Amino acid sequence: MKLDLSFIWTALLQLLTAIPTTLAVTGVSVVCGLAIGTVVALIRINRVPVLNAAAAAYVTFIRGTPMLTHLLLVYFGLPFVIDAICESFGWPFRSVSIPMIGFAYIAFSITAGAYLSEVVRSGLLAVDKGQIEAAYSVGMTTSQAIRRIVFPQAFAILLPNLSNSTISMLHGSTLVFTVSVVDINAKSQIIASSNWKFFEAYIAAAVLYWGLTFLIERVTAMAEKRFQMYNRGGVS
Amino acid sequence: MIKLSQIKKSYGRQEVLHGIDLTVGKGDVVAILGPSGSGKTTLLRCINYLERPSDGEITIDGFTVHCKRPTKADIHHLRKKSAMVFQQYNLFRHKTALENVMEGLVVVHKLPKEQARLRSVELLEKVGLGDKLDAYPSQLSGGQQQRVGIARALALGPKVILFDEPTSSLDPELVGEVLSVIRKIAKEGITMIIVTHEMSFAQDVASHVVFMDNGTIVEQGKPSELFQSPKEERTKQFLKRFAPESAYSI
Amino acid sequence: MGQHQFEIAYVFEFFYRLLPSLKVTLLIVGSSIGIGTIIGLLVALPQLYRIPVLRRLSQMYVSFFRGTPILIQLFLFYYGVPEVLKLVYVDLTRTPALFFVILTYSLHSGAYISELIRGAVSAVDRGQVEAAYAVGMNGFQAFSRIVLPQALSISIPVFGNVVIGNLKDTSLAFTLGILDITGKAQTMGTLSQRFIEIYISLAALYFIISFALQKLFDRLEKRLLRHEPAAAGLTKDPLVKISFLRKNLAASKWRRKEARL
Repeated sequence: MKLDLSFIWTALLQLLTAIPTTLAVTGVSVVCGLAIGTVVALIRINRVPVLNAAAAAYVTFIRGTPMLTHLLLVYFGLPFVIDAICESFGWPFRSVSIPMIGFAYIAFSITAGAYLSEVVRSGLLAVDKGQIEAAYSVGMTTSQAIRRIVFPQAFAILLPNLSNSTISMLHGSTLVFTVSVVDINAKSQIIASSNWKFFEAYIAAAVLYWGLTFLIERVTAMAEKRFQMYNRGGVS
Repeated sequence: MIKLSQIKKSYGRQEVLHGIDLTVGKGDVVAILGPSGSGKTTLLRCINYLERPSDGEITIDGFTVHCKRPTKADIHHLRKKSAMVFQQYNLFRHKTALENVMEGLVVVHKLPKEQARLRSVELLEKVGLGDKLDAYPSQLSGGQQQRVGIARALALGPKVILFDEPTSSLDPELVGEVLSVIRKIAKEGITMIIVTHEMSFAQDVASHVVFMDNGTIVEQGKPSELFQSPKEERTKQFLKRFAPESAYSI
Repeated sequence: MGQHQFEIAYVFEFFYRLLPSLKVTLLIVGSSIGIGTIIGLLVALPQLYRIPVLRRLSQMYVSFFRGTPILIQLFLFYYGVPEVLKLVYVDLTRTPALFFVILTYSLHSGAYISELIRGAVSAVDRGQVEAAYAVGMNGFQAFSRIVLPQALSISIPVFGNVVIGNLKDTSLAFTLGILDITGKAQTMGTLSQRFIEIYISLAALYFIISFALQKLFDRLEKRLLRHEPAAAGLTKDPLVKISFLRKNLAASKWRRKEARL
């Protein structure tokens, strides 16, 4: 058997149709994860009683287990919980009506939330204490200080980490094949086995993922430049 | 003893040392003064080959290195003849004060450990740190770290000790302890080259003063001559800025 | 799903029955980290010493393995390597899948480890090397006695992340039919139809191993960083420690790369 170069191209074109699914899973999990992560980070930084311990446990558990297990637990466990709740309240809703991709969204948002909470937390902690004091000194309230002074600076600091997490979520989104969602990876498996050209199909998939990763890196680099204007020339 | 001839150094196209000639006799204490950016630190680092001169010759204790194309062995041999005390101390961070002093003796001079230890303890006592043998650099003050640095340099028994602004990273109240250690070893007749901003100290300790500006030696001589009656205009201007300080020390 | 009531007793039973498969998981982690460390060193060297062509190649290598999903890499090597080797008349069709799994994970972690080595070495203060030269050490002595020990202690937490990340990644080996703990859990789940129980015990098992590894690396780091009490004392809160290292060891550049799932 010889490497069929033209088939790589054919496969690549076919894979393009699966890009939206991959991007949707990645995008939803990063955006929801960022929201979860910010709440968790604020809970942990302000050491909110009880919630702090729960947040710490959540982060430790998620970080200590593979993303695959999160997906499987949500996929098999969540219907149980939902159906039980709906039944006890007499609602007509049943878990069967949740689309497969919904489980991926939920599971990966939970995954991303834990990782991104650490990213947000380190970003917030890296902002100099003097910045908040200065904000108070010009008469801002705490929420003003956090929104107008701390968050913008923290965001610039955490951007590179956010980009890394996004890339990890992109690569992690390949797991959706276990819940029968057809993303780039699942599509390449289909193309591979239906044409009996495994190597070519996976080369095409690798190229596509590599390209998407590169794209995320480029976009981050551009955003970083924009956000770090105030910090130009600083090494620290 | 030490002879530098036509030392040149360029970074890319920019030449920062334009052919320096300098002779230092045995037991001399040479202070190099000059505004920042004058090339004095670069010159000092060239002597220890931490910077590679682009051209010229360095002779220490009868051993000459031609800077155009030195061999690795040449550089290594030259380095063994000198020791360096850094502005930022540069103590090995993962080693205690004692281990810092012993390191060169054991690794480079292949001294047996016990012997190296005895000698190192002796030197640390000499710089007043006999009670800090097992402290890590991060547990020492700047002044203490720099004194360990001096002990480390002394341990190697070098022909010359090079001091690169040894006190300029220190808090003012710690400068004194380091200078008095340097003064003490200067009296023992060890050859030293010191790049410094401490005018009164230079005046007091140095046997020879060199004034550098823009990569050349502008003027040199005995401290009494250079400080009291500088000949060159640039030297005069430079000293004038330090006038108040040198005035009160006299 | 939904046929069975959830029963906690099964969680314990499954946990116990998963344990024998742990050795497959640990074999993959152990051997791929071991081989990956050697690969990482080989890949880092051309970049550290700025060797012209090789440097580009090693950058490409790192970029590829960090830029594509491990799952794709698994398939790519499983199907691709035998085909490529067929061209030179080496027959790998009977080689067990485990070989390709270990190969892929070694190459994958090699990329991360090379980044780690590069970052750690460049995080050691330049002045340390100068001081080593100044006391008369040669290049090799300066590297092995001064730079390496310090780089090692700096890199421990990141190395820990790589190992734990590798452990979690091995959960994908089941796609090639490997019966590691995940593969075993899948089979047991299908047989018993008690998916929730089995996946809870699976997650618990992964968690216990990562947790133990994390503790191990924390202790190791504390030991190696005993010369920096300011850093070692803060190990309780890793993030504070990171900001300490940011300021003091100029390590920010590579530490930003450590966040991986």
